[in-house]
Amino acid sequence: MLPVLAAVATLALLQGETDTTFAVRQGQRLDFSNFGGSVVVKTWRQSAIRVRASHSSRSRIEVSTDGPTVTIQARGRHGPALVDYDILVPAWMAISVQGSPSSEVTIEGTQAEVSVETVEGAIRVVGGSRTISLQSVEGDITLVGANGHIELNSVDGSIEARDCSGDITIETVDGGITMLGIESANVDASTVDGSIEYDGTIQDSGRYRLTTHDGSVTVSVPERANVTVSVATFSGSFDSCFPLTLKHKTKHRFTFTLGSGNARLELESFDGTITLCRPGQIHQPEQ
Amino acid sequence: MSDRWTDRLSDYLDGELGERERAELEAHLIACAECATTLTGLRRVVTRAGALEDRPPTTDLWPGIAGRIGLSTDEFSELRRMRERRFSFTVPQLIAASIVLVAASAGVVFWLAGGPRPEPVARPTQVAPATPQLAKWMPKVEKSSDIAVAELRAALAEGKRSGRLDSLTVASLERSLAVIDSAIAEATRALESDPGSAYLNHHLADTYRRKFNFLRQANRIASART
Amino acid sequence: MPTLTTDRTTAATDAETADVALAQSGDGRAFERLYRGHAARIHGLVRRMLDANEADDVTQDVFVRAWEKLHTFRGESAFGTWLHRLAVNVVLARRKALGIERGRRSTDDSPLETVAARNEMPEHTVDFEEAIGRLPDGSRQVFLLHDVAGYRHEEIAKLLGIVAGTSKSQLHHARMALRKYLDR
Repeated sequence: MLPVLAAVATLALLQGETDTTFAVRQGQRLDFSNFGGSVVVKTWRQSAIRVRASHSSRSRIEVSTDGPTVTIQARGRHGPALVDYDILVPAWMAISVQGSPSSEVTIEGTQAEVSVETVEGAIRVVGGSRTISLQSVEGDITLVGANGHIELNSVDGSIEARDCSGDITIETVDGGITMLGIESANVDASTVDGSIEYDGTIQDSGRYRLTTHDGSVTVSVPERANVTVSVATFSGSFDSCFPLTLKHKTKHRFTFTLGSGNARLELESFDGTITLCRPGQIHQPEQ
Repeated sequence: MSDRWTDRLSDYLDGELGERERAELEAHLIACAECATTLTGLRRVVTRAGALEDRPPTTDLWPGIAGRIGLSTDEFSELRRMRERRFSFTVPQLIAASIVLVAASAGVVFWLAGGPRPEPVARPTQVAPATPQLAKWMPKVEKSSDIAVAELRAALAEGKRSGRLDSLTVASLERSLAVIDSAIAEATRALESDPGSAYLNHHLADTYRRKFNFLRQANRIASART
Repeated sequence: MPTLTTDRTTAATDAETADVALAQSGDGRAFERLYRGHAARIHGLVRRMLDANEADDVTQDVFVRAWEKLHTFRGESAFGTWLHRLAVNVVLARRKALGIERGRRSTDDSPLETVAARNEMPEHTVDFEEAIGRLPDGSRQVFLLHDVAGYRHEEIAKLLGIVAGTSKSQLHHARMALRKYLDR
């Protein structure tokens, strides 16, 4: 195992394969940029980073350490490099990945902050805490088991968040949004062309906003939820699996209260169907 | 004329001095009439500040607030009454903030001739009369949008030509732009038929804001690949 | 030292607490009562920290934001205190959006010297509020937040992105300038 590096190091190439491990210290974070190729990051118990990469023999992997930051990037002799990475990091290590234009990123088992930005390529993260930010332009995003301040953003891609907790903000343009098993008091999800599903807690004093232009909005409301619901649509429809009394009805918006009405739930779809059901009644996506 | 204690008088007045310094200053005040006078003057300022009168706004702002947070029970009458205040600042402020955001983050002021604008497929048979307030913000926003789109298209074309941008990425961005523009066209048609609707105004404004956010993001991608 | 809590009777405080709870559950009338109770103070703050032309618009922004953030109010402070702080944040964000630079502290009192000079002409009077409005921007913001609104220097420093020492010297500068006006 190589010691912690204090300067740029060029790792040995062997027929386009790199496999090296080096120690890191508690508190360091990984900054990682990949021009193209897949990135798979998993965690292990060691205080070290193991980098395995498949690449052209004309490319080299550079690792550098600058105080709290460990940086890994690939350089090709005649331009950007195309590399497939398989990396092991400590679970406590914060991870930042910038992959463009074409990078599929998978991160599993992390217990730290995660930031991923790709142009083309799906992002899948299992784990993550404190701050989780996943952005893709053309690519689906999947986040499972994260806890913290969560921001998921795509343009042309669907977004799924499962078994997550914390403040959640999700935005896409052309794609659906699915949120299942969510524990949150603050959810803001919006898309232009796509449907939104929410199956999670409706906490007292929570704030939930789900908006789409062209798509349905489906929400599960727990039995004893205390929530004021505002529904707005232009040419869509509204459906409920349980009885409720509408009040404050105007042409495009109405509200109703469940329980004490403590939380606020805003549902908007320009021309889709807005549906309220009880937990478990929402269609579950296939695993 | 001031001495070394003059600049400490405010701190003394606010109880910010340590015990020793306070004692020294108080001893000085006994001997220095000018400082004592200055202190009295500062006290008057503080007293006067605390007694400033808060006058309520000359116009009742509540109807506008209620409309913006969706509390109006009768949208039409509320909005007809409050339209001027509401449209003149609520939506343009929202859009203006987005325009500033786009211009600031792209680092460019877009002032080119606009590109093609999606025309409504059909007009409602009863066209609501254009209100001055609605007319005021829509053309400005549409113009800014057209300019920003033209600029983005130019950047994307350049990116494709130079090989910096993947054609799939460009196509994806164009597709997403078309999705947003389609939504804007639908919302605009709806608003034309129902200009008093708070929901439609906000929805259209929100969709424009989504567009500006998207353009900012796309511009960043188009210009970053150097 | 002015404080952020308004002088009220216990009954009025209880009524406000009830209104806050009702408003948090979506009761619009309760929120309207809260608005009526605090509009003057918030409008005054906005008018002095920005200008009269913006006061109505930004006051509306404050209350809309308060409605949106009402669920975050936990009763750890008085509602008026919470609302006032929210208003300050809205105003500062507005200033930033308008690109208002915090004015350098001027080393002289030129703006108020001009005011004072005009004041010698009996037909022209400048009231205290106008005098505040003529303070250099940085001093004015600190003076309004400290002497009018009751914030501590540490809080002001955080809000304005300065150090507490600068806040103290700006405050002293503002008071000295205004003192000269009051002395005339």
